[in-house]
Amino acid sequence: MKRICLVLAILVLLSLSLVAGAQDPVTLTVLVEQGGVWLQEAAAAQFEEETGHTVEFVNVPYGSVFDRLSAEMATGGSAFDVATIDVVWMSHFAPFAEPLDDLFTDEVVDDLFASLVADAQIDGTFIGMPTWANTEIIFYRKDMWEDADEMAAFEAEYGYPLAPPTTWDEFTDMAQFFTRDNDGDGEIDMYGTDVKGGVADFEWMIAVLQAGSPGVVLDADNNIIIDNDAHVAGLEYYISHHCDMDVAPPNVNEVDWGVAENLFYQSQTAMFRFWGHAYRLTRGDSPIADLVGAAPMIAGPGGIGAIPGPWFNIVPKTSQNKEEALQLVQYLYDHNAMGIEAPLGLAARKSAYAQYADVEGFENLNPLLETLDSPQTIGRPAVADWQQIADEILGPIGSDALTCEHDVAELLAWGRAELEAMGYE
Amino acid sequence: MRSPLASRALLMLLVALIVLVYGFPYAFLVSTSLKSPQAALAIPPTLLPQQLSIENYANIGEHPSVQRSFGNSIIIALLSTVITIALAVPAAYAVARYATWAGKTFLFVVLITRLIPPVAVGIPLFVIMRALGLIDTHLGVALAHSTISVPLGIWLLASFMEGIPRELEEAARVDGCSRFGALLRIIIPVASGGIAVTAIFVFLASWNEFLFSLLLSSTGVKTAPIAIAEFKTQYGIQWGTMTSLAVLFSLPVIIFSLLMQKRIIAGLTVGAVKG
Repeated sequence: MKRICLVLAILVLLSLSLVAGAQDPVTLTVLVEQGGVWLQEAAAAQFEEETGHTVEFVNVPYGSVFDRLSAEMATGGSAFDVATIDVVWMSHFAPFAEPLDDLFTDEVVDDLFASLVADAQIDGTFIGMPTWANTEIIFYRKDMWEDADEMAAFEAEYGYPLAPPTTWDEFTDMAQFFTRDNDGDGEIDMYGTDVKGGVADFEWMIAVLQAGSPGVVLDADNNIIIDNDAHVAGLEYYISHHCDMDVAPPNVNEVDWGVAENLFYQSQTAMFRFWGHAYRLTRGDSPIADLVGAAPMIAGPGGIGAIPGPWFNIVPKTSQNKEEALQLVQYLYDHNAMGIEAPLGLAARKSAYAQYADVEGFENLNPLLETLDSPQTIGRPAVADWQQIADEILGPIGSDALTCEHDVAELLAWGRAELEAMGYE
Repeated sequence: MRSPLASRALLMLLVALIVLVYGFPYAFLVSTSLKSPQAALAIPPTLLPQQLSIENYANIGEHPSVQRSFGNSIIIALLSTVITIALAVPAAYAVARYATWAGKTFLFVVLITRLIPPVAVGIPLFVIMRALGLIDTHLGVALAHSTISVPLGIWLLASFMEGIPRELEEAARVDGCSRFGALLRIIIPVASGGIAVTAIFVFLASWNEFLFSLLLSSTGVKTAPIAIAEFKTQYGIQWGTMTSLAVLFSLPVIIFSLLMQKRIIAGLTVGAVKG
């Protein structure tokens, strides 16, 4: 009898300890912008079902993610257990973010694009788990590129078959070929492409990578490279479609991403470089709804190159539910492919993109995969004052260059001087 | 010499021009909200919708959080108005009645608080509200809005109250009214036009406020300006949805202002003529 009592007592103690060890359900608050809700809500709902925890998305406008989290950081507290943040804010929030090194196993690193692995670290510590990655690819009009008459005319004029452009020269040739005055009134009705002067702080950087630069503005050791040959070549190529040939709408400073997208979808440009998600968001009532093709970003002398726009899940050090927050971040990574079914159709893992790459309606994923996986697809330098550099140096350089009145090398030399004034060498 | 008819015509033309300048952005907002989502993005944009569409309004039903945010905005704006008027009326009364050195200094200091950019006090407010457990509550956001509105209210009401003859209050005192009773029974009813105007301005300030609402709310008390701004994402702006929501957001205030038009004008002219 004593033995039975002893065994029963041990069993009771064991079960009590198990109950005590089990996690009580908690509410995890996640700071996001709308894209983060779309891409993560399905996986989060599944997480809730499996764990009993509740995930509450606090959805704020894009720029307000930074403002809101900055306020939390400044006060040393946080209402958030996870925050989904843009790559450009990683350095700023690094002191506020819990290290995530344990989540980055070899298997995880292998399944992420190299640029994302680099962007996820600040000073050698992983602080953010990529949740989706976007980048610019080529969008073109399938009906024009596959038209027999156009194909014959192009080949006759340029000496090679018409196909989605793969290089700088091909892109330029096709931009010239499709720039047309259709009704003969002296006005151009369709431009071959666009030049986005409205986002001049970003767009010409892409050409710099295609030209073979080891990075944009600063190298991996944060040394100034803004005036290297690749920057000169990249900036010259970027402005050439506006300054040397009229293959883009002339009001370049008014053309930002939104305007460029509208120009293309309203059949006013034949092709353009744009963020890969747009393919899945093509509106059914667009005049070219079924005519959009997607191809990898073009290559310059250095190969295919682009700047990724990844978002990361970070866990604020002040989270009251750190263990569960890390569990959620891991879960969102494990179920990353679920985001591809969402409106933006984006993910961070190579395997997630590969899983859908051959599915009808996801024709943008192979171009995205190829572009993101290219060695010349490199993130922006992880420096806390990047936004200042973009606003005060890169934007003015791009805008001045697009006036077509400045020597590109001189503009870049000015950029070096400004960077030196900021303390870079 | 210009005839009265010509002068009137010129005046009307000027008024029409001013109305056009002020009204055009709103008219374009309404027009855009009635375009199809694709037409809203046309380059170049069209002034009027080629085909009227209520698709943008119909789509609002898909966003229940936006509908809740309108309710939150109403609650917070009303709460902020009540708090502000409750604080500003006695403060303005004291300043107006006791034209002392301290009162004038107080008015000046109050004005200074209006000169501080809201972003500078955002984080201190956040810390205070968190310490008080008022983050993501209607009261917390309304109190924050009152920090902007109380100085405005005091200044507006002080000027209204200065225009009220002191004799009115003295007569009440002679009849046995206490100072507080005179404020309640005499001054406030007489200043009701001014209080109404102040309340409208305070309501509008809270109704449109963005920064404090953003910092102090999460999901529970998100206000309409934030919910509307969410349609400007990193990947583009949903003009159709944003404009339709903006039209709906502006309607209560427009209707309220039209209903209160006479009172507002009357209130604005109180104290303009001194006998």
